[in-house]
Amino acid sequence: MKFVCMRCEDFMIFQKSENVSEGSLGVMFECPKCGSRFSMVTNPGETSLVNALGVKIGGRTQAPEPFELTRETLKEPVESQATAAKAETTSGGSCPFSAMLSGGAGQKTAGLTWSAEADERIQRVPDFLRPMIKAGIESYANKLGYRVITPAVMDESKNAKGDLEWTPEAERRLQNIPEFIRPMARKEIERLATEKGQLRVTEAIMEDAKGIFSGMGYNSL
Amino acid sequence: MATEKNLKTILTKLQFHDDAQVMQQIQEQIIHVKTRMGLIRRKLVIMSGKGGVGKSMTTANLALALARQGRKVGILDVDLNGPCIPKMLGMKGQRFMITPQGAIPPTGPLNIKVASMEFFLKEDSPIRWKGPMDLSPVWLGMMEMSVIREFLADIVWGELDYLLADLPPGAAADKPPVIIGFLPELDGAVVVTTPSQVSTDVVKKSILYARDTGIPVLGLIENMSGYLCPECHAESSLFHGNPEEISNNLDIQLLGKIPFDPTISQSCDQGIPLVHADSVAARRFDQIAQKIHSILEAKKVFVQNNKGSAI
Repeated sequence: MKFVCMRCEDFMIFQKSENVSEGSLGVMFECPKCGSRFSMVTNPGETSLVNALGVKIGGRTQAPEPFELTRETLKEPVESQATAAKAETTSGGSCPFSAMLSGGAGQKTAGLTWSAEADERIQRVPDFLRPMIKAGIESYANKLGYRVITPAVMDESKNAKGDLEWTPEAERRLQNIPEFIRPMARKEIERLATEKGQLRVTEAIMEDAKGIFSGMGYNSL
Repeated sequence: MATEKNLKTILTKLQFHDDAQVMQQIQEQIIHVKTRMGLIRRKLVIMSGKGGVGKSMTTANLALALARQGRKVGILDVDLNGPCIPKMLGMKGQRFMITPQGAIPPTGPLNIKVASMEFFLKEDSPIRWKGPMDLSPVWLGMMEMSVIREFLADIVWGELDYLLADLPPGAAADKPPVIIGFLPELDGAVVVTTPSQVSTDVVKKSILYARDTGIPVLGLIENMSGYLCPECHAESSLFHGNPEEISNNLDIQLLGKIPFDPTISQSCDQGIPLVHADSVAARRFDQIAQKIHSILEAKKVFVQNNKGSAI
């Protein structure tokens, strides 16, 4: 869905979304030219419809958990086998819409401090994007055990595409896969490497992956 | 006075920008499903236009038959509101194991991996979703689609030769198009019918519907076809069905007929699956499984040859 500012003849830009009351979402838009803002407020049926899409309006900072939507939307969620230990990091499901909201509200950032330079830099990011970007950097810092966020950490988090490093040979072999399949293949090979406890995608991993992809008709890996 | 602006003209000058990142996430969801499904050798759906014809019983026993033939099999129970597969395979009360890579499905008889909504529910509880049920027509369909998407995207099947998806009843319902939408490389549908004109009529519609949707129909299984006397093992017909009529009229193979066999219905009800092929019905499923496998093998060669000749 898009809104057009009839005065400026331009698309309005998504700013943020929040749950304004039980079962109601407020989604805010702003015209990039004249700065006019307005908010769309959903009724409970529409709210559930948006929730049922399984997306986070404004983008995600983290990949979705397996069965995220199913588990969060069940009224009486049962304990899955390995979730007990992770319960505190996943949303407890008290608010059905909390998962939709952009930004890092409620995320654990305890123990992290921002250096003055880093803080200054993050303030330059537009208001509506800041929480999301902040949350992304903080989650990266948490993962790597950084206590202080400096401009260097910010750069690092920006460049960190994934956790896995590809050796040049592995990267070269990946080029043998047709371009439109490559992103999927990359993801799948990284999954395979993680499954094997590897932090680097090497030729050996590519050899293992070969079987899978030749099964799909791509023999050239 | 300002002239009334024309939205149509304004829109031709504007470029779409996915600033709320909704489209992007939906694209990612689709890629996620395709990546996961791409690792499974063969994907079949078991469907019927009619309820109560034995789709789940057929799915469970076909899976057992394929597994007896040494194949690695998974079952996806797509009947969210009436899941039966776990009960039939003696797997009620089992749970998924959630890992960062995905949900690991429990393993049943003959190493068959099973994914079912049942594994998310308390015993005998129906699905209860958060959300205003009085407004369910607005959102429930979308919710079920997304749950099916998660079932397709988030399960770690490992290596599988066959994945059988047990569809809920109803032909023109919303589920088959969604599944085919996610699985363009679906190998085919197996359609279950029973010997009655009512069933035949509805099943015909579902076959035509499947064809419209682009689902290749592999063949037909007639369930409840005749009665097997537990005393003398003679088979007699109970109803007058005519699966050959569908099969001839719509040019679809009749894969086999499954008689009423007390051993098979008891096994399903008690959750003690027929692991060995020592009953008539189980042997029939073995034959059907073999037939399906041969059809798919032939198709593969056919497609490869076609590719060859095209070059």
